[in-house]
Amino acid sequence: MPPVALFVPCYVAALRPVDGEHAARVLRALGEETAVIDGRCCGQPAFNAGYPSEARTAGRELLRAATEHGTIVVPSGSCMAMVRDCLPGLWEGERGAVAARLAGRFQGFASYVVNHAALARLELRLEGVMAYHASCHSRPEQADALRLLGLVRGLELRRLAHEDECCGFGGTFAIKQPEISAAMMATKLADVTATGARVLVSADLSCLAHLDAGARGLGIDLETWSLAEVLSRALP
Amino acid sequence: MTSFRERAVREMEAEHPAATVTPIMRKLVADSAAMLARGPADARQRAAAARAHAIANLEALHAETRRTLDRRGIGYHRAADAAEAVATVQRLLGNARRVAKSKTMVGEEVGLTHALRAAGIDVLETDIGEYIVDLEGRGPSHITAPALHLRRDRIREILARSGADLPDDDPVRLSRHVRDAVGAFFRDCDAAITGANTVIASSGRIVVVENEGNVALGVSHPKLHIVITGLEKVVANEAAALAVLEVLASSATGQPLTAFTHFLAEPARGQERHIVFVDNGRSRVLADPAFRELLRCIRCGACMNACPVYRTAGGLSYGTPYMGPIGAVLAPLLWPQGSFGDLPGASTLCGRCREVCPVGIPLDRMLASLRHREAEQAGSWAEKTAWQAWAAAFSHPGAARAATALGRFGLAHFAGLLERRRPPGDPRRAPSLEPERDPTRLAGGPPIDTTTPPTEPLALPPPSGRAATVALFRERAAEAGVELPAKVKREDGDLRLKANAAIASTGSVLLTGEAAARRPLLAARRVVVEVREKSVVPYPSDLEPFLGKGDALILTGASRTADIEKQIVRGIHGAERLAVTM
Repeated sequence: MPPVALFVPCYVAALRPVDGEHAARVLRALGEETAVIDGRCCGQPAFNAGYPSEARTAGRELLRAATEHGTIVVPSGSCMAMVRDCLPGLWEGERGAVAARLAGRFQGFASYVVNHAALARLELRLEGVMAYHASCHSRPEQADALRLLGLVRGLELRRLAHEDECCGFGGTFAIKQPEISAAMMATKLADVTATGARVLVSADLSCLAHLDAGARGLGIDLETWSLAEVLSRALP
Repeated sequence: MTSFRERAVREMEAEHPAATVTPIMRKLVADSAAMLARGPADARQRAAAARAHAIANLEALHAETRRTLDRRGIGYHRAADAAEAVATVQRLLGNARRVAKSKTMVGEEVGLTHALRAAGIDVLETDIGEYIVDLEGRGPSHITAPALHLRRDRIREILARSGADLPDDDPVRLSRHVRDAVGAFFRDCDAAITGANTVIASSGRIVVVENEGNVALGVSHPKLHIVITGLEKVVANEAAALAVLEVLASSATGQPLTAFTHFLAEPARGQERHIVFVDNGRSRVLADPAFRELLRCIRCGACMNACPVYRTAGGLSYGTPYMGPIGAVLAPLLWPQGSFGDLPGASTLCGRCREVCPVGIPLDRMLASLRHREAEQAGSWAEKTAWQAWAAAFSHPGAARAATALGRFGLAHFAGLLERRRPPGDPRRAPSLEPERDPTRLAGGPPIDTTTPPTEPLALPPPSGRAATVALFRERAAEAGVELPAKVKREDGDLRLKANAAIASTGSVLLTGEAAARRPLLAARRVVVEVREKSVVPYPSDLEPFLGKGDALILTGASRTADIEKQIVRGIHGAERLAVTM
């Protein structure tokens, strides 16, 4: 088994599997032949909805898959946050310690790439203007994501006013409180359009899918790109 | 009872709270962060430690508090629930008929004003914001800024309905109108009821913070002063109280300290003082390891200031005296039989509440735990079954892959069906599954509004050396509107006092003993305080050796209010002018 694996989260596989491919392409460019972990979930949807034992059942499979690899790269900020901050706490005692050790092998895509020894060898170039959405759960990785985007020559990155405010997704929140969720989303999209950019990049595809759905409905001309897609398209 | 969602939709349609609240809160959150960065780097850790210690030793601290209060002649009372709290206050009030009440969240929690009025007592809300929302009749929408949801024109209408003659809606005029009504009430009232921000076990002093001076009036004018507060509000000693104060006003309102920080000791001759500690479910929270640390809360409101759901739905949507993230956790715990089980769902779990909480309460984690509790107790069979099926699928990668593919197929083919089930007005469509990429979009357009990347305010190094400390004091005092004349010319209505110490980082002066007497202070037209340079300390937490044993009062600028659209109006009760001579 390769020492490094790429975790393609359930919702990425369902909504935009191409983002998993973009992430794999970037890792290949760094010289990493990675295994793919798919068909698993970190458990976050159930955990946030109030079903931790169901989250544990799902998360157990993900951690089990992690036993075979030294590093598992996660191209989704909120899945990474779940694995790091919440998943180990679903077990008690020795099992919790084991879960915490396994969770420690997971690393966010931006952090993994930015610290990779081969990064300096990559020629990243993409002419254009993009707005940057700082997703709440990607905040620990924000500096890394911004550094990576800063390495892309020709790319003008525009920051949003009030960028630390939530886009209103929140998993089941978007379904259970649709009115508030949509109002928050509209606020965020207004900040996005105000940048003048027509492409939005984020380290979190869940926010992007939500904003994408909103932009379509509101008739806003906007493409949503994951960080992995930006880097992948910036490769020669 | 309606659901949170129903109330929020009604509020959003009728009032559009975000338009009023969001701009105010954005500024407030930035100001709070900047103000905290001016304090000691470890202020939040020390405040959290002080509160954690109090929670871990609550009964021991209460035993001590009872003794120290007794020594000062302050009555110690405990009420198990709301009814007992109201009954205790009523008994203590005796024959009092006119009662001036200042802000107390526990008072809101137990429905004190309403209950006392029902018993025929004339209760006046003396805080400007509370006075306004009391007339409006829908209750406070924020724990520190009760009238936050009301714009000035609405406030003018509300005051006009009660007979006020107001030519315009200038916040200065509106605030002074309420001040005058409150001031007139204080000239003839029997008792005052206030809250407490913290009660010091080792010394039996009660700490109350306020900006307007209505608490200063309440603790000094009527013969009877009753404090009503939560059981959890005790702290071990002065150092712990100062640690709380160091983060409280900055987190709440972006001020260094409030205009008045009272350390109340024994009542004046001929006066009576009592404190009622209200349990009302707190012991139950204390016994629950999952939520015990919630009792650290110092009611600053920082979590609601930062909460995007609170800003969008408005405080009244929560249907409880406690709103925002703290309300969404506290209300279902305090009233487990109530209908607040859906409040933990009023969050995207974005985590801003946890980040800004000055005492380190993991509010978002608690919200998730409460959703679990609610799902166990009241989750529908259909929802439980759905999540079990989901978990079953994700415990077999093959099944999960199939389920994911099925989900994708469903989204692609039944998106139209899903869209027809959307609530009306929801603009969202199904997200694009095969994103098209049009290179021309990368060209972008000219920016209308982008920002320079926000940076966290840098923590300032502590002032080093006497001269730097004094210079910082002068700078911060001037910022707070304090006059710093080289020589003071005597004026009519001057009150001259000597400060026992001063605080550089906040520009505050400390008055102790006789100098802290509120009556002359409130009657003066200008307060002139003499500060000795060698008594200036860097931070509030350095004040402990100067606090003395009795009554003390920290003044930070002149009395003021920001209860109307958060606009500052100076000179509410008491002198409009504060001058310092060195």
